[in-house]
Amino acid sequence: MGQRRKKADVSASSEKRASEADTAASNPTASNPTASNPNRKHSICMVSDFFYPNMGGVESHIYQLSQCLIEKGHKVVIATHAYGRRKGVRYLTNGLKVYYLPLQVMYNQSTATTCFHSLPLLRCVFVREAVTVVHAHSSFSAMAHDALFHAKTMGLNTVFTDHSLFGFADMSSVLTNKLLTVSLCDTDHIVCVSYTSKENTVLRATLDPQIVSVIPNAVDPTDFTPDPSQRRGGRITVVVISRLVYRKGIDLLGGIIPELCLKHPDLHFLIGGEGPKRIVLEEVREKYQLHDRVRLLGALEHRDVRGVLVQGHIFLNTSLTEAFCMAIVEGASCGLQVVSTRVGGIPEVLPEDLISLCDPTVRSLCAGLEAVITQLRSGAVPSPADIHARVRSLYTWRNVAGRTEKVYDRVAGEEVLPLDRRLLRLRQHCGSVAGSIFAFVAVLNFLFLLLLQWLVPDQVMDRAVDASGPRALWGPSQRDHPAEEAGAGAPTAE
Amino acid sequence: MGPDIAPGPAVPWRKVLWERQPFPDNYVDERFLEELRRNEGIRQYRYWAVVKEAVLVGQQLSCVAIFITLWLYMEQGLLSPEALLWTSLIVGLLGYGLHNALRPQLGSDRKPRTHLADLQSAAIFLSFTFGFSPVLKTLTESVSTDTVYAMSALMLLAHLVSFPYAHPSPTGSLSLNAALFASVCLASRLPGALHTFAMLSCALLMFALWPCLLQSIRDHAPGPSAWLCVGVCLGGVGGLGSRWPGGAVLLALALVSVILLCPLLLVKLQRHKDNIQGPWDEAEIHEDLCKVPY
Repeated sequence: MGQRRKKADVSASSEKRASEADTAASNPTASNPTASNPNRKHSICMVSDFFYPNMGGVESHIYQLSQCLIEKGHKVVIATHAYGRRKGVRYLTNGLKVYYLPLQVMYNQSTATTCFHSLPLLRCVFVREAVTVVHAHSSFSAMAHDALFHAKTMGLNTVFTDHSLFGFADMSSVLTNKLLTVSLCDTDHIVCVSYTSKENTVLRATLDPQIVSVIPNAVDPTDFTPDPSQRRGGRITVVVISRLVYRKGIDLLGGIIPELCLKHPDLHFLIGGEGPKRIVLEEVREKYQLHDRVRLLGALEHRDVRGVLVQGHIFLNTSLTEAFCMAIVEGASCGLQVVSTRVGGIPEVLPEDLISLCDPTVRSLCAGLEAVITQLRSGAVPSPADIHARVRSLYTWRNVAGRTEKVYDRVAGEEVLPLDRRLLRLRQHCGSVAGSIFAFVAVLNFLFLLLLQWLVPDQVMDRAVDASGPRALWGPSQRDHPAEEAGAGAPTAE
Repeated sequence: MGPDIAPGPAVPWRKVLWERQPFPDNYVDERFLEELRRNEGIRQYRYWAVVKEAVLVGQQLSCVAIFITLWLYMEQGLLSPEALLWTSLIVGLLGYGLHNALRPQLGSDRKPRTHLADLQSAAIFLSFTFGFSPVLKTLTESVSTDTVYAMSALMLLAHLVSFPYAHPSPTGSLSLNAALFASVCLASRLPGALHTFAMLSCALLMFALWPCLLQSIRDHAPGPSAWLCVGVCLGGVGGLGSRWPGGAVLLALALVSVILLCPLLLVKLQRHKDNIQGPWDEAEIHEDLCKVPY
């Protein structure tokens, strides 16, 4: 996304772009697929193991991005694995079509991978929907990697979004990094959510940094508005919302709570989330008799998060690693003072005056929190409404979609390597051993595709009726006034 | 990205996401990866220092060889149990004296163990071993000799693998138990109950007490202790050579590779080390979080 000169006129122009997209979407004749490159409409298939009804950052990213792309006139379908009894095709808001494919889940909602078994189903989806770009999400998702592999066999362009950071030191990362190298070896473009994440991915998968774009996550500012009236007078409340797991630094939190509670009698902690480290916090609460001052709320629904956030003065994040921390943006959007550890991509997310960055130690975090408490007491902090006003325009899904669209435009013009050059590239890029193994797998995959094409040729496969995109047959009345807030509201289970 | 690259941006690129910058999304600044650190805090190994540590592994291997040699002598009737018992007693008393002489310098803040307690443990161990040696002698009678040998070999291997070479005192429970299990198996194949008793006392001396003594010698005088280990190695090779020359050659080869070749490999391979660290690494918690404030 170039042409961004200054912050002030950027928000204006992004608003304009959004409204242009609105008119384009409302006027079907304007969105002509044969138009020149920048206006080209893509047929995108998002593939990931993680999608609703599972909840999390990747899931909402896929959903919100798809909604904004539909708003821009692209056709979007999502492929994921079946969740319990939810299998087959479902339609979400604005004709977002979701394929819940019957693939076996192995671990942590991720499917097993054999490099082959998902080809028939994914081929069906890609052919029926006339997909031009396959966009896979999350390096934890085996289905995403499978889709990248099959898409290349079928001659489609691919984009991959990486949502997480990995180390290089232990055995499991060595193995997963090698697999990522193979998987991203001929992917056309990669999207990372922060610059740190880009550096990490470039190193892990030995990529050319030119084909890696940084497009941050976004939050819906209308979901996270401040409401100072919810704050309880006479006390200072620190809010923590995260899964209670080791990587979120809950052990640090367990060290901070007694230290600060003893120093500041009006300090209260409100902790939302669930996980194996809950026991640490319960022990601390028991040991120091802090039952009235440390409240553990357990797992929160996404829609309840704002109600908890607005009760606090300070938002505390103790993560030990983080690619892009959505939680701190949500906290700041609700007008809270944010205190966080300086790890991963966090320093890139908020301007220095909206966040206090600390080292990941109990001492540093306590010092940071105390500095903010002192400021709060003296009233030397901006009002929640001011903070919200500054944060609300920083990360919007429309902006993310606009930048992702540019990635698709670029990718769509690229040539897909034919099999012989693909094999050569695998062997050059992934080392002789792994490269040869996966070159062999690629050949088998190609033969399998030929078999499938011989059994049922592409030409005789039914084309699906479009629910989104230029030729959408999905309720035209809905398309006349596209969602005022794209992506507002979670999808309703039909 | 494509057509909309701004012409010659004048502002420098910053590594922030909240500011919209006049650069394409796939822009690569020259500061890309500037926070990457390689091989941070890596240890430089010196060959002879590594050899000095590796000698400890070699001497433990030789200890096992010496134990097997003694057993071979006993089994073939070349060594009487009385002679072994007297030698063990004298060596044990000498070692105890040395250990006591070295002790005061070690732990001054802890309450030292009294001699009475040492005597009590020794009495309990010896009397129980003596009382149970007829039982231990017949313990594996119904098991075939091949099985007993295989089991002993396996257990001695387990002893060597699980031995805590970094801090040999106290001996790790798994390695000590494996060694004693192997000794019981081997001792039960000896001709008499007194043989069994002598063999087991010798095993206790060798696998339980010798590592403790060696550790205190190492703490006290690191130089001579290395030569002591070399002496044990030579003793092991020589002893085994007197009964089984082929085994002695094998042992010598194993010792040379463990003491001289493996350290050489470790030092030579260091230059291939390429450890990368950066801001994406998971932070480590260094503080002792159990330590309570106030």
